[in-house]
Amino acid sequence: MSKNLYFCLTIVFAFAFLSSCKKSDDETTETPKPLFYVPDGFPAPSGQLQNNPVTTAGFTLGRKLFYDPVLSKDSTVHCGTCHQQFGAFAQVDHKVSHGINNLLGTRNSPTLINLAWHSEFFWDGGSNHIEVQPIGPITNPVEMDETLNGVIAKLNRSTFYPAMFRSAYGSDTITSQGILRALSQFMSCLISANSKYDQVRNGQTTFTATEDSGYTIFKSKCASCHKEPLLTDLSYRNNGLDAHFTDPGRARITTLAADSGKFKVPTLRNIVLSYPYMHDGRLSSISKVIDHYRSTIVQSSTIDPLLSSGNMSISDAEKAQLIAFLNTLTDQTFITDKRFSEQ
Amino acid sequence: MYLLLNKAKMKKSIYLSLFTLSTMFFIASCKHDDDTATPASTSTTYAAGEVTLEFDNIAGTTHLDVSGATNYTNGAGETFTVTKFKYYVSNVSLIKEDGSMYDVPDQVFLIDEADSNSISAVLENIPGGKYKGVEYTIGVDSARNVAGSQQGALDAANGMYWGWSSGFIFLKLEGVCPAAGGDFMYHIGGYKNSNNTNAQRRVHIDFDPSTLIVDGNKRETEVHMLVDVLEFFKNPINYSIVSNGTVMSPGGQAMTLASNYVDMFSFDHIHNDVK
Repeated sequence: MSKNLYFCLTIVFAFAFLSSCKKSDDETTETPKPLFYVPDGFPAPSGQLQNNPVTTAGFTLGRKLFYDPVLSKDSTVHCGTCHQQFGAFAQVDHKVSHGINNLLGTRNSPTLINLAWHSEFFWDGGSNHIEVQPIGPITNPVEMDETLNGVIAKLNRSTFYPAMFRSAYGSDTITSQGILRALSQFMSCLISANSKYDQVRNGQTTFTATEDSGYTIFKSKCASCHKEPLLTDLSYRNNGLDAHFTDPGRARITTLAADSGKFKVPTLRNIVLSYPYMHDGRLSSISKVIDHYRSTIVQSSTIDPLLSSGNMSISDAEKAQLIAFLNTLTDQTFITDKRFSEQ
Repeated sequence: MYLLLNKAKMKKSIYLSLFTLSTMFFIASCKHDDDTATPASTSTTYAAGEVTLEFDNIAGTTHLDVSGATNYTNGAGETFTVTKFKYYVSNVSLIKEDGSMYDVPDQVFLIDEADSNSISAVLENIPGGKYKGVEYTIGVDSARNVAGSQQGALDAANGMYWGWSSGFIFLKLEGVCPAAGGDFMYHIGGYKNSNNTNAQRRVHIDFDPSTLIVDGNKRETEVHMLVDVLEFFKNPINYSIVSNGTVMSPGGQAMTLASNYVDMFSFDHIHNDVK
């Protein structure tokens, strides 16, 4: 009887010991985050994954499709062509996106960061759901110029896609919904929340004095549009680039004159990596972007009210501090995470 | 495992006793009805069944040819041929004899003149009874326009979806008009009320003087409607292909053409014979 009791107690202690070991492991070493998670301090996601919960098989299929040029008409261009991981999933040093046959788009490839918190996509917000977003670049004549049926036919000829669809959805049948949902699973998992800025927010480290001064300037001059912690308020605004709009921006979607020249506020996360800047890539560096806000804001009928009083007052010293802060938004974990890379 | 089996057995016996109880109640209530109501033999009850809506696409008085081989003339006197005619029909409601509506749940139809299987829309599990008309929407409601990727008639691979400005193309009419310099393309859609770009239009069809009786599979239940492409170009606006041969986005011209397309649809006849 007492022997049994001791045995039981030993087992209980052993369990307690093991579980406490495990706990301290979690705290001290960098265990990989789950594929999809809500980082500390983030708001609730958009909810567009509601009918499409992330699974390892779905994510893996999405990644395969993301990096597969079979999505383009002549099989030369894949999503990763214009969305490079080292550039925070924008296309580094390209003003506008390059499609098949060296065709040029009209807009700068946006970064793909924390998209599960967005409910509209593209510079003009033309796409209303992450599941249908890929239809835009796949079918655009100057991007991939393919049809969904064309993609389905090519995937059906592959030796491995039917099995990947079976793993993800339980059936070999390749459908547009299966393709689009897998891509949106992959894109939704591109979560960046481990920059120095995040670590400071989580109390793991502190800013340098210069970065801290930059953060103060950011909060007073930038944060109303580049709202924390996503560093975008997801709205559409005219930031004073032009008096006349060659690209109507948001008005292309809403048909409202009041939306002319407005574009979606981009996130500032990983911003120093994703040059050039603006919807048409006209500004080649962060330095030039800050110069725009302090010296070349153009007034027009749809100028954002926050910029209607003209150029911002930012000294050269403040500019340097601001740039130091913007550098803390770079997330090395994000741009080197092998799970997001072409396999 | 044994426990599970036991549970399953227990569940079974609970169901069995519930079933027995409810059967007893049912029998009891039937009996009660029998005592008070008129004998069942004289009342007419109809069983639920299918109703088929057939969309007979025409141009004026002849069947529409989408091969591009037949010349038609619009109200503006312009000669044209048709190579594509597709549209969505959704949110169907059948109008009962007393004027009340039966809303058919969750069925969306893509009618494509090039696909003879598609021109018959089969409405399933329609309550038995007499119907005097039907209503439906040309287009797709806003909830389905913001619901992400879908299947069946709403599969984006059907080519009735805009990738650059999310939403369904409600109607496609394409063809060739030599006076306009070649191809014309009308892709009409738009679901937003906020900026007056909603191209959904409600069609109301009276079977008058006919009545459609749905009674299980005892009767044919086929409603034939005519869909006249020429009406796309007139009433209320006389539309010129030469002036505007390409409309491929919501709002503006699409709203004019949506007002025109609502009266393409008219009642022709029904088949309702006892089989």
